Amino acid sequence: MTTTIEASVGVREAIVARGVARSFGSVRAVEDATLTVPAGSVTALIGPNGCGKTTLMLMLSGLLRPHGGDIAIAGHDPKTDAAAVRAAIGWMPDQLGSWDNMTCLQTLTLMGRAYRIPKDAARERGAELLARVHLEEFADRPSRVLSRGQKQRLSLARALVHDPQVLLLDEPANGLDPRSRVELRDLVRELAGEGRAVLISSHVLAELDEMVDDAVFMSKGRTLGDEAATMVAHARTRYRVDALDRDHLLEVLARFGIAAEPSDTGAILTIDSEDRAAEALAWMVNQGVRVHRFGPVGSALEQTYMAMNEERR
Amino acid sequence: MTDTPVVAPPKETTVHPPARRGNPWRPTPRGVALMTSIELRRRRPSTKGYVLYGILFAAVIAICILAAVLSTSDLSSTNLELVLIMVLGVGMLIAPSLSATSINGDSGEGVLAPLQMSHLTAGDIAFGKLIASWLVSVIALLALSPFLIYAFTKSGWHLDELAITLAAILFMVLAFTAVGLAWSAIAARAVASVSLAHLTTGFFAVGTLVLFAVAGTLVTDTKTVTEYYLDWETLTADEQKALDDAYATGDFSALDPADYQCTPQEWTTGLTHTDQIAWLLLANPIVTIGETAPIVDPETWREDGRAAPGAFAQMHSLVAGARLGPQDDEIDYEPYNECDQIFGTAAAEELSPEEQEAQWEADQAEYDAYQQELANLPRAPWLGLAVQAVLLVGSMLIVVRRLRVPYKKLRAGTRVA
Ligand SMILES: Nc1ncnc2c1ncn2[C@@H]1O[C@H](COP(=O)(O)OP(=O)(O)OP(=O)(O)O)[C@@H](O)[C@H]1O
Ligand SMILES: [Mg+2]
Repeated sequence: MTTTIEASVGVREAIVARGVARSFGSVRAVEDATLTVPAGSVTALIGPNGCGKTTLMLMLSGLLRPHGGDIAIAGHDPKTDAAAVRAAIGWMPDQLGSWDNMTCLQTLTLMGRAYRIPKDAARERGAELLARVHLEEFADRPSRVLSRGQKQRLSLARALVHDPQVLLLDEPANGLDPRSRVELRDLVRELAGEGRAVLISSHVLAELDEMVDDAVFMSKGRTLGDEAATMVAHARTRYRVDALDRDHLLEVLARFGIAAEPSDTGAILTIDSEDRAAEALAWMVNQGVRVHRFGPVGSALEQTYMAMNEERR
Repeated sequence: MTDTPVVAPPKETTVHPPARRGNPWRPTPRGVALMTSIELRRRRPSTKGYVLYGILFAAVIAICILAAVLSTSDLSSTNLELVLIMVLGVGMLIAPSLSATSINGDSGEGVLAPLQMSHLTAGDIAFGKLIASWLVSVIALLALSPFLIYAFTKSGWHLDELAITLAAILFMVLAFTAVGLAWSAIAARAVASVSLAHLTTGFFAVGTLVLFAVAGTLVTDTKTVTEYYLDWETLTADEQKALDDAYATGDFSALDPADYQCTPQEWTTGLTHTDQIAWLLLANPIVTIGETAPIVDPETWREDGRAAPGAFAQMHSLVAGARLGPQDDEIDYEPYNECDQIFGTAAAEELSPEEQEAQWEADQAEYDAYQQELANLPRAPWLGLAVQAVLLVGSMLIVVRRLRVPYKKLRAGTRVA
């Protein structure tokens, strides 16, 4: 099994998991998880509380041994090369933990040295990472004084000290203020742009929408494969049109035989590309419809999530 | 914070952590050193802590000065020995307390897993924590050093002897630090691991003595001896009077053996073969420390330039007695026969006062020789030290196994991180 995965991986597929399972006693936390994250892309891991996201990430990171299935991280198998897997991964845990009486810079420097980075380089990199997550003014303050969001950012910086090729971010946006969320989004895109593979879990779907290339839905320990992907793809094609004169809009659409769901303030159209969307808007305006709002219907991920209609655990 | 301008850093230091293969777990010198320094930094006391430590230290010095002013100039090793026991006791109390929350505490705080993700191996983390906790205990024990130095100057001990005993104490503190660490790797909650660590210490300090007492009953031979006594009831009044007179004068020649019949009486007596269970005592840490102390001869200590036998010397003699077990005269105990006593030997020869004196002296000399043999029995710290070494190695094996990732099994009721 191992060899087949590694052979098919190549360099592109940074994270590959097939049929991964793990239970804790009688609790089957993850039953069957399959996902692939190519290098240079961001994949969201979405699912209700207790569906096994954190457990799956722990197995991917080489901290927890799966009871079944195969994993390859940057071409390494955690069964045989767990150290190589861990070295390739930057892991941001969902639990915030920091060394209370050490400063932020000390924390990052020591963490860097734990990765066998020479002291000076580790220090320099620590300072840079603090700047990258906008904590430079806290460099010399003990980490115990940091607020929740600041701790979260320190934790993100800590995941980056060794310049990992694969990032596993477990609810990184938790507790961040709106601006920091936007910055996190940009940072994640930037990290993917540098060729890293990012797997990110979050419950704030609206903001994932703008940063991820792909999404994996999980429910009760199982990843939902193609049907969820189709639903997301479909949700992405839905556009909302709001017009001052709703009736006129509906009348124009009906006249030209365009399928549309009427809504309270306008209509929802299915448009399969951005080019077509631009054309449709111009056309409607030409038809004398006074469009005051035009855009994708909310978050595609959120729509899919709601449509999945799965229970929480 | 929120008004920090969004600026991308100009350039990034490129770092090149070495590649890794397999899943190493062995401790490495660099890893252990780094982990130790991380742990020491985390345990660095606050200013308040330093002040408290300073006050404690000053108090200890003050007590020493007071003692120096008040004390006589006689040598006495007992003070030093009490201080050494105190050092051992304090060490055995604080070392496990420090280490017993080290792993489950870190894991609860969420600072353990990020370290396990790094290039530090399970061995690095385990031994780094061991050494750091031990060093902190040693630094805490340094507060007692003025006592030690003061008591040493009046103890008649040699410096190298003190060094050996101190080394043994520090080794034991290390072993019990490891025990605490092992419990913290096994138990999920700090309360559990701390109490289990102290119970383990208590088992060795007190439990071994209790076990010794209990095991004593198992190695006791009971045997029935038959002794013969005159039966007072069967004697006539005259015979009784004659016997009383004879006992008073010590002259039994006037009695007629035919009138006095001895009747048998049965006794059960126990003979405890403590030599078979003395190892229980030797496994006791306090006994072990006592066994590393210099031997003090009860006869020649003055010429040897030592203080009179102190606490450790007494303990050594007691333990030596247990190690040697019952002596020949106890084993070949001759049952008493009153009739033989009266009509046999006693009638034949009568001890003059000088002979009596000589007899007593011989008895005394025999007793002294036995005491001297006990005091000079070779010291036996090896068993105790071996037990501690096994504890140390066993505990560290447990700790390293428990720290290895990927986890197969988690501590019951805990999450990773
Ligand atoms: N160490 C453990 N022992 C027992 N059960 C566990 C353990 N870890 C996780 N579980 C159970 O496994 C299931 C999945 O947990 P997990 O933490 O992976 O969920 P999650 O998807 O991350 O949830 P959330 O969105 O709330 O973070 C839960 O039902 C949880 O109770
Ligand atoms: Mg989670």
